[in-house]
Amino acid sequence: MSPRPTVALEHRLIFAMGGGGFTMEPANPLLDDFVLSLASAREPRILFLPTASGDTTGQINAFQARFAGRACVPEYLSLFRLRDIERTLAEVVLDQDIVYVGGGSMRNLLAIWHAHGLDRLLVQAWQVGTVLAGLSAGAMCWFEGGVTRSSGPPATMDGLGLLKGSLTVHADGEPERLPVWLASVRNGALPGGWAVDDGVGLLFRGERLQRVVSSRPGTGAQRVDAIAGELVRCRLEPELLGATGRGRAPSLDEDVQEMRRVQRLRRSIIGKG
Amino acid sequence: MPAPIPQIVALGGGGFSMERDNSLLDDFVLSLTGAARPRMCFLPTASGDADHYVVRFYRRFSATCKTSHVSLFRRDQGAEGVEDDLASHLLAQDVIYVGGGNVVSMLGAWRAHGLDTVLRQAWYEGIVLCGPSAGSLCWFDEALSAFHGAPRRVRGLGLLPYSNCVHYDAEPARRAEYHRLVGDGMRPGFAVEDGVALHFRGTLLERVVSSRPGRRAYRVEPAVDGVVETPLEVACLGTDAVHPECAAA
Repeated sequence: MSPRPTVALEHRLIFAMGGGGFTMEPANPLLDDFVLSLASAREPRILFLPTASGDTTGQINAFQARFAGRACVPEYLSLFRLRDIERTLAEVVLDQDIVYVGGGSMRNLLAIWHAHGLDRLLVQAWQVGTVLAGLSAGAMCWFEGGVTRSSGPPATMDGLGLLKGSLTVHADGEPERLPVWLASVRNGALPGGWAVDDGVGLLFRGERLQRVVSSRPGTGAQRVDAIAGELVRCRLEPELLGATGRGRAPSLDEDVQEMRRVQRLRRSIIGKG
Repeated sequence: MPAPIPQIVALGGGGFSMERDNSLLDDFVLSLTGAARPRMCFLPTASGDADHYVVRFYRRFSATCKTSHVSLFRRDQGAEGVEDDLASHLLAQDVIYVGGGNVVSMLGAWRAHGLDTVLRQAWYEGIVLCGPSAGSLCWFDEALSAFHGAPRRVRGLGLLPYSNCVHYDAEPARRAEYHRLVGDGMRPGFAVEDGVALHFRGTLLERVVSSRPGRRAYRVEPAVDGVVETPLEVACLGTDAVHPECAAA
């Protein structure tokens, strides 16, 4: 593996979902196909990090069910199960086109990443142009802060700060979270930012919000700032994915899938040699 | 009232999760409490709070102990484990049983929830702390952890001023790596095979016990020329015909 060069800020992508994707919308692949479309590789390598859930079998199986048949090379990294002592964490993380972070406990996610030095590796991955995607805890982690229920009641928490501002998730699905976030933005405990419904994702190019997309109608997002102690809220209308075919990965026929499986197998054999 | 005695039982591997038909090490831990029906809380953090592990814990201990568990991943969901005041719940136990898994992930999550401080307090207050694998490594000052890449030194909670290496028999590469690290300045410490437990009173090793005959543990220290590995005297539990395999040895 040769080190990849750092890319300019406008080529660094982060896709932050309020909820949705394979763990929450097993019958709706629109957000996940959009994630794949963000990588420039035709067949992107996509790494799933289920850390925030404690690496549950449920999340790992759902990831494989969603991506195994798509034009990509899926892989997951467990920080709890001993799977792979051949490669270092750096070798696993820095050799991807997409890193996809699942939901769960934001507090545990960031603490465990930090304990393994994975937080630094992910910043590095972003700097070399790896698309960072995630939902819920896996979305808030990229911002300066968010609202987590990691310890029970909703509470503010710092993120990695790659993106300016704060994020709150499940704005429609978990109504008790939003008021805590709004109060924190108003009193300055959190910087202004975005509240995002389930099924909605924000695409950031560099630090700038570029697109707001959704997997289902009737959902939305809002930008909220505190100005002179008052909240100024501005609704963002998402583009509905699938309606125009934009952001959809092409489906593969059986022969192509077969060939890819063989190639993957061959690669893994060579890799072990 | 006499001052409580801090106690740790560090299993190289074994106990309910690894020894299905042999409860000797777990019984030994329970015997240290002096309670007829000990209060026992399970911390499955190192496994990511794996459901199957929690189920096995209850299956093993709920008949004889007042059992509970603390999940650090499902604190938003309430009801199942202990949700409200982790500290006061843990400090009301007779035994805290820490499950195996990844020690680095576990220590990271513990620190984020303040459990490192709570467990130190529990130790001072005489609550028996125990566990296999990651549940052993965590109590020591330094530990050898094998995960993604070569085995490496990991800093534990530091209650016991030694290093620790578990599964000493199961993975041959560990022995070489542990010797190298101790030779390179890692704290001297203890290497323990599966089925063996170190019992510490305070910071002193009181006794080494095993659930099966022929199991070993060693003290590993630096020497002029590399390291010296000294076998420890291991008492096989259950020799009074409770466990025929032991009695035969």
